[in-house]
Amino acid sequence: MYEIITKSENETRAIAEKLGSMLSAGDILCIFGNLGTGKTVFASGVSKGLGIAEHISSPTFTIVNEYMGKLPLYHFHAYRINSNEFLDIGGDEYIYGEGVTLIEWPENITDVLPPEKLEIHIDYDSEVIENRKISLNPLGHKYEKLTQNFLEEIK
Amino acid sequence: MKILAIDSSGAVASVAVIEDGIVTGEYSINNKLTHSQKLMPMIDQLLKSLDLKPCDIDVFGCAIGPGSFTGLRIGISIVKGMAQALDKPVVGIPTLDGLAWNLSGFLGYICPIIDARNDNVYTGIYSSEASESGISLKSEYKAIHIKELIETLPNDKPIAFVGDAVFKFKELLRENLGGLCFIPSTHLLLQKASSVGYACHLLASTGKLVSAYSLTPLYLRTSQAERMQGRILIF
Repeated sequence: MYEIITKSENETRAIAEKLGSMLSAGDILCIFGNLGTGKTVFASGVSKGLGIAEHISSPTFTIVNEYMGKLPLYHFHAYRINSNEFLDIGGDEYIYGEGVTLIEWPENITDVLPPEKLEIHIDYDSEVIENRKISLNPLGHKYEKLTQNFLEEIK
Repeated sequence: MKILAIDSSGAVASVAVIEDGIVTGEYSINNKLTHSQKLMPMIDQLLKSLDLKPCDIDVFGCAIGPGSFTGLRIGISIVKGMAQALDKPVVGIPTLDGLAWNLSGFLGYICPIIDARNDNVYTGIYSSEASESGISLKSEYKAIHIKELIETLPNDKPIAFVGDAVFKFKELLRENLGGLCFIPSTHLLLQKASSVGYACHLLASTGKLVSAYSLTPLYLRTSQAERMQGRILIF
């Protein structure tokens, strides 16, 4: 587990953009965090890093939004679905597809996600209200390497 | 009797016309998953090449799964749409049956395996005899971990494997089954609408036709236990 502290929304967006620019087809990011911690801010940074000009909105009701950049981005919001519902909408065809998959609220569908992925936990900082603690938990060699390179880039 | 058959359950988009049991035309593309854009123009071209109009088709057939949920819905929607508009009957063929028909005549077992992710496969075990009836299913349609499949395979006759998961697991199958494992050449491994169409022809000629309204997909999924098992084996 690696930790980064960001001091503003813009800083969170900026590091997410850097991460986005380093992703490749088939990458899976799972974003954990309570309401208002900035999961969608992080997602919009990733989308910018993928060269997507469009504004990103939270797919709270649509479950998944697709965007086309350097790579396709599949942005999931899995708060209201379970694993079977995820499979019903062809969720596995996205995560094993040709783009980057970013999943907010992955808690309910973990058993249908591949074991290798990058987990990102966003928490409030107990001392400074604007600050966010971003913890990266890479699962699998590919994501370990990605995380190392990413941390090197934002040093 | 003319049958238009579709298989869009996997990476291949395939359409075929079978007339009285003979394949008169087949069109397959294994390129990108763009079935929703490709299948209708493929049907249009195939029918035109055969000097047929949609109303000349007597029966519409389709691979109904297991397979890609999105792909299945595209194929089944096309068949339902055309059959309803033309008021013609339909036949649904399980994808695994279609794949097994690719190898009919193999003297032994035929075991189609379709990639169901995380080292799981959709599968069934068929025996094929040198007889008119062709192939017969000896198990249930299952979604199981590849290791569990290997442990439960029969060992009294050679087993031929077919399906997209063969590309992934052929070494593992050879290691575990030795001389009983038969891997056909790659051009036989993937879905073909002609195989689905031939299975449709056999069913249609015995009157086993249904209304387009009653055609439903055969979705199989791995149980949560299997999903977790896949995970444990990997870690």
